[in-house]
Amino acid sequence: MRILWYTARRLLYVIPQVVGISLVTFVIVRLLPSNPAYALAGPAATQETINTIEKRLGLNEPIWTQYGKYIRDLVQGNFGNSFVSGRPVLSDIGDRLPATLELLALGLLLAFLIGVPLGVLGALGRGRRIAGRASLGYGLLAGAIPDFWLGLILVYAFYTKLNIVPAPLGQLGTDVRAPRNITGAVALDSLLTGNWAALQSALGHLVLPLATLVFVYMAPIVKYTRSSIEDVYYGSEFIEQYRANGLSHRAILVRALRNGLPPVITIVGVLFGFLLGGLVLIEQVFAWGGFGQYAVQAITNSDFSAVEGFVVVAAMFNLFVYLIVDLLYFIVDPRLRAGAT
Amino acid sequence: MTHDLPTDPPPAGETGHVDSAAGPPLTVAVQRGELNQFTVFTRSNRPFVIGLAIVAVSIFLMAFGPLLGTHNPTAEDFNATLTGPSGHHWFGTDQNGRDIFSRTIAAPRIDLYIALVSTFLAMALGVPLGVLATGTSRLGELVGEWMLRAMDVIQAFPVFILALALVAGFGPSAVNVIIALTVLQFPVFLRLTRGAALGVRGRTFVEAARIGGAGTGGVMLRHVLPNSIGPALVGASVSVAQAVLITAGLSFVGAGIRPPTPEWGAMISDGAQSLITGQWWPSVFPGVGLGIVVLGYALVGDGLRLYLDPSRRQ
Repeated sequence: MRILWYTARRLLYVIPQVVGISLVTFVIVRLLPSNPAYALAGPAATQETINTIEKRLGLNEPIWTQYGKYIRDLVQGNFGNSFVSGRPVLSDIGDRLPATLELLALGLLLAFLIGVPLGVLGALGRGRRIAGRASLGYGLLAGAIPDFWLGLILVYAFYTKLNIVPAPLGQLGTDVRAPRNITGAVALDSLLTGNWAALQSALGHLVLPLATLVFVYMAPIVKYTRSSIEDVYYGSEFIEQYRANGLSHRAILVRALRNGLPPVITIVGVLFGFLLGGLVLIEQVFAWGGFGQYAVQAITNSDFSAVEGFVVVAAMFNLFVYLIVDLLYFIVDPRLRAGAT
Repeated sequence: MTHDLPTDPPPAGETGHVDSAAGPPLTVAVQRGELNQFTVFTRSNRPFVIGLAIVAVSIFLMAFGPLLGTHNPTAEDFNATLTGPSGHHWFGTDQNGRDIFSRTIAAPRIDLYIALVSTFLAMALGVPLGVLATGTSRLGELVGEWMLRAMDVIQAFPVFILALALVAGFGPSAVNVIIALTVLQFPVFLRLTRGAALGVRGRTFVEAARIGGAGTGGVMLRHVLPNSIGPALVGASVSVAQAVLITAGLSFVGAGIRPPTPEWGAMISDGAQSLITGQWWPSVFPGVGLGIVVLGYALVGDGLRLYLDPSRRQ
């Protein structure tokens, strides 16, 4: 019951934040000096054509009228139409989001599954120099390497030189039949429809972007696991107590993990939110055609509604992820449950 | 293992004592002098020294890099396009025949300049606001609360996309990249400083100053601010590293610095096509330069954090 109450309170807090986000987005996008009417009309257009287009888009109205209209539409889930594709922004985003989410979810899952054991090894390796040093060195290295550069290097090594992965051109080879669209995520759809040829191609295309993502963004997971487990394992009295009581090494470790994992959950959540927009560069390298690339295109075309739609969706997604992180905390940490009435 | 930050904490139970007793630096440290203490710390911390060396070299290159190359960094030579590394062109040439070695060491002029200026501005904005956000009067508390909620909103935006939108809208130029980075980074300094200032505010020497008759503004400026700037200093080197990466990323998608200006991200992007066809050098070398600089600032950040950690100062 308490968790419902807690969720309700947290959701209440989201409302002013969403309003703030939509307001800031609107202001920033309208502040941009580039005029979409010019972009749409093309370089040879007359002033008259431009005026007509401005009128059609509502750009000649006072800014607060535009904001009122924008908020009204937003509440109804209408982000407007993209100037470029002519389709509703929301359906454009709906088409692009699954590709990014598939890559991101798989990547962070892998990073979590590999990173936590590595972090624990690093923490326990305190006495053994090599494990500790290796985990530290990896953290520094991964933090310094630009993801887009690593992606290119991997393409050079595994596509150009060794030729064991497909060309970095999207999510699926052109030689296979695309799976029926169910979720929009190509690998998942191939699996669901039993289209094995497509699944194989999709997985092949996933290898390098996934490797790039995991190598660069697993570093914070390793680092947080290491320092958190270290604090609990070597620095807390209850572990000392277990040790004195003669619990096995493994049993102690399990208890340390349970206490040391909450900060790691937070960092995974933060990474998820950050990468939803921050995956742009990796998407660009592998021509992934996802959410991030949509934003880059929208920005270069001064596509107001599309940029607004992207930013609002990404920011709301972020708030949603933080909410889930808080709820997970609530479930994992008994102290919060006791205190949150 | 001298460097390992969160490792070897004092045994359980003692940490709390050391922290709370560490208050004002002990007399021994004062007698030895801050500089002396810093030297001792530096001597025992090799990664920090490496970081400092990288930072020094990067600043030197920011000042003189464009003059030091073997060639003019922007000169094109269409008789020597995409030649591999050789005695004449140490790092090879790009598709316009520009010398990659000269361009790689000229790039800090723009990359580091942007990162340092934007970090400085973000600090200049965020640190005083962070102290201000700890106000104890009823009005002060309200202002502080609102500031934090506003920072929540700024920080909820996708960092890279916001930078991209700002730069694309106002036009790709160094000044606009600096503005975008400043907006993105100052909330971090505000939070860091506020956190530290909240701790400092209740300490005895601040109380003493207040009892001694100093006004609120004076106490904040003379006592709270200088004593809560530590975390922001650590944050600054992380922020520089982050800014270099974002600048390069923006230029990589064509929204930051444009060729022919030597800039790492734009150079990597320039070389991406050749990379697929087998010429690795136009993209690899600028990436290595970028990575080394980012690593250097990260190492300095780690070292500073360790140095300023009160439980470390025995």
